Amino acid sequence: MKETIVRRPSPVDSWSDHHLPQDREKWFAVRLRAIMHGREALILCFLLAVLWQAVSLLSAAQYRFLFPSLIVVAQALWESLPELLRGTYYSFLILVPGYAAAVVAGVAWGILVGTTGWLQRGFTPFARAVAPVPPTVYIPYAIACLSTFRLSAISVVFIGAFWPIFLSTAAGAAAVPGQYRDNARILGLTRVEYLWRVVLPASLPQSFSGIAVGLALSFILLTVAELFGANAGLGRFVQYYADFADYPKMVAGIVYIGLVTFLSMEGLERIRRRALFWVK
Amino acid sequence: MTTVETFQPYPDELKHGLIIESVSFGYDGTPVLENINLSVREAEFLILLGPSGSGKTTMLRLLAGLETPASGRVICKGKTVECPSTERGMVFQDYTLFPWMNLMDNVILAISKAHPDLDKSSRRHLAEEYLIMVDLYDARQKHPYELSGGMRQRGVLARTLAMGPQFMLMDEPFGALDPINRTRLQDLVLKIWSDASPPKTIVFVTHDTDEALYLGDRVVMLGSNPGRIIAEVSVESPRPRSRHKFFQSRMFQELSDQVLDHFRRDVIDRLESVDTAKGYGEGI
Repeated sequence: MKETIVRRPSPVDSWSDHHLPQDREKWFAVRLRAIMHGREALILCFLLAVLWQAVSLLSAAQYRFLFPSLIVVAQALWESLPELLRGTYYSFLILVPGYAAAVVAGVAWGILVGTTGWLQRGFTPFARAVAPVPPTVYIPYAIACLSTFRLSAISVVFIGAFWPIFLSTAAGAAAVPGQYRDNARILGLTRVEYLWRVVLPASLPQSFSGIAVGLALSFILLTVAELFGANAGLGRFVQYYADFADYPKMVAGIVYIGLVTFLSMEGLERIRRRALFWVK
Repeated sequence: MTTVETFQPYPDELKHGLIIESVSFGYDGTPVLENINLSVREAEFLILLGPSGSGKTTMLRLLAGLETPASGRVICKGKTVECPSTERGMVFQDYTLFPWMNLMDNVILAISKAHPDLDKSSRRHLAEEYLIMVDLYDARQKHPYELSGGMRQRGVLARTLAMGPQFMLMDEPFGALDPINRTRLQDLVLKIWSDASPPKTIVFVTHDTDEALYLGDRVVMLGSNPGRIIAEVSVESPRPRSRHKFFQSRMFQELSDQVLDHFRRDVIDRLESVDTAKGYGEGI
């Protein structure tokens, strides 16, 4: 025998295709959400582009040169691409050595300080005092002290990226679980083996947060340093065309720097995921 | 190698064993162990049985050399224990394989410390042998996060064996496992212990009476506040023991009753002593 169940339709039912004729608006909302799902970022980009174009077109004629439209900027970006690529090369000649040195030094020193009682007690107060100093204030001094602009910019990037990397690594190294330490002792690892094979990987999850912050900071410091005295580079590009009031090119430079930073951060995130595959 | 002949105050069977000699120990002024005297013979399977807080783990850490006694001595093969050594392997309560290395590398790390003279390929070969021993050969390339609790603990066992230790100190190694895996691993440990040549001495910490009686030659019972030895029983059942027959046997019932009785009596003794010490309501 067939049973007939009479029940009130629940809100969930009305969202399904089955109830389409009764509830067209809700159906539309559900469908829209389904289409947008996973594409939110793209849609936001598109909306921002539209907004940009609108602001540029609607701004008063005498200010329009300040807000070049998307198309104008895209054109400027295309035209100055060779120059920007060359700028990227010069900028990376500063960024890569400074940042790489900061990663190596920050991680190594962080591991040492985090696991050595007397170093920790001695160095931590100093680090607490010095780390918060905005690294941009070192730029004029570095330029004065060091022989070339590149060298001073590298050292500023190094100082800026070093602190977050050091602090996060030291915290990670100090918090290595006791069972790993006991294990290392039972296995008879030497101190160097312990630091290299246990503390380094164990504190890597924390290190990476500092390494990411350090990379973002490096880009900031790099471009700021270039505003001061470079004759090539990404920050220099923006400053140069701003001086000539060539805003399409300047905005193109800003967009390009944003893109480079974004791609670098994405690359780092990939490395992080690969290195920390064991963190579940 | 020649060693200077020293006076040995211990019977022969303890020359190659472990001795805890009037050891007291505390963390931050709280006494954890008080005046412990215990000796473990060579090739013995000794169980430390007690409730949590009775200092079982601490005793094992003292034996391993991870802690130094506040007073008294821990002696291993006639020498005072000052620091950990590869001849005393330890299996911890929680799975302690290094999660960033696969099983093979975890075992190879132990081998490289125990046999620094071996070349790379023979280390690999040896590691494979130990992994076969614990039935993990097929999972040798896996990382700990891909393994179940039982597999991880077998991996720890393989690594500990790879150190080639004469003594194995096991701290509630199967406490977190399901009953089926637990019985499997218990039998594995028994097999490793009985097959070992040269013989291995095992000190095994547990709070499970059944496990204690099934595995041990001798069960030492610890009481808490502070940790001390209340009693010990010998399990004189022939080996290899059949699990089924053992748990059905009269002897098991009697021993089990004895053990529970010791603990019960200890609790009552403690209550009474507290009662007399604080009979006028102090400390309430």
